[in-house]
Amino acid sequence: MKGRNIPFGKFFSLLVLAGVLILAVGKPSVADEGYDEDTYGPAKPIVWTKPVKAVVFQHKIHTMGAGLECNSCHDGIFQMEAGNAESKDDFNMQSLYKGNYCGACHDGSMAFASNTRCTSCHIGVQGYNKMMGVTAKHGEGEEGHGGGH
Amino acid sequence: MKNMDFEKLSNEGTETLPSEERRRFLRFGLSVTGVFLGGSVLSLTSARDALGISDILPDAKKFPYKPHYSMVIIQNRCVDCERCMEACTKTNDVPSYGYRTKILDQKRDLGPSLQEQVFMPVLCNHCNRPPCVRVCPTTATYKDKTNGIVMMDYKRCIGCKTCMAACPYNARYFKETNRAIDKCNFCFDTRLSKGEKLTACAAACPAGVRNFGDLSDTESNVYKLVHRPDKVVWVLRPETGALPNVFYTTD
Repeated sequence: MKGRNIPFGKFFSLLVLAGVLILAVGKPSVADEGYDEDTYGPAKPIVWTKPVKAVVFQHKIHTMGAGLECNSCHDGIFQMEAGNAESKDDFNMQSLYKGNYCGACHDGSMAFASNTRCTSCHIGVQGYNKMMGVTAKHGEGEEGHGGGH
Repeated sequence: MKNMDFEKLSNEGTETLPSEERRRFLRFGLSVTGVFLGGSVLSLTSARDALGISDILPDAKKFPYKPHYSMVIIQNRCVDCERCMEACTKTNDVPSYGYRTKILDQKRDLGPSLQEQVFMPVLCNHCNRPPCVRVCPTTATYKDKTNGIVMMDYKRCIGCKTCMAACPYNARYFKETNRAIDKCNFCFDTRLSKGEKLTACAAACPAGVRNFGDLSDTESNVYKLVHRPDKVVWVLRPETGALPNVFYTTD
């Protein structure tokens, strides 16, 4: 009996351990799966490069985070079609201050004003390169005095 | 220069000694003598004259140059679109491995789980006491006597890179095509001398980050920007005592 009990105990504890591991590792992926693109919009961030490089927008922050519905913005403020806003001539900061595009909410009362906290959305050329996995050009980010032989 | 010639040099005095040097001198004194040096020994010059950290701006109406070219950077407006860098590269024939101006990026903590992205444009500070000019063995880099721009005479440069080591702002690079050090000269040869009022970077900036003008003109935008009572104005690395002419502020 003893001989059979020990392997069984081992097996049982292994089973428990495996279960714990699955739960522990599985948890974040479960949370990720909880993000439903049909409810909250595309998971992938939108990066605009016009008129300046570069501005990032994340559906997740606005829908899951701030509780906005799809029809809060679509299609009144933004067309769903990708690249639509970017193709418009008035897709700029002046237009935002007048309440267009992001400025519809980012007016200082509903959400932070468009002329404040610039780098919350503007990630710049360096932010763009990091996001796209582009390696910096030679000469950039070179510190010290050894460069340029 | 021969050793004998050093005796003929005029004494630079202690008035222009950066606070960093003072501290180094004090540490040296303490380690050699092991005796506490009192305040009177420490003060090689009176604190009033020890420019650097307290007085980043010259006294009102006592600017050394006319025009006294200066740039005031409204830092929180910068979004790293890098149009300034593009314009600079195009205007001044800057190679891909070099730079005359850069945008530094850093993250600043706003709270335990909140960070802010900060972009900081940097360029030659055209210091009133330029460390690079002081160390150049051939006077290839010099302070223009009229407008205070730190210039390069490429023909005189031997490429020893001593100025690169001396510059507190890492504002210089070695340009291979002319075998000389290259740096920002506020677009003097390419724009200012041709009648333009702004540097290429200042003209290209879409957000009004880079403000360029004559600091000795009390009506200029740069003078007004550094004399706003409700705003903090700072310079980079004031402890070097180089007295830079590129100022930073926010709006």
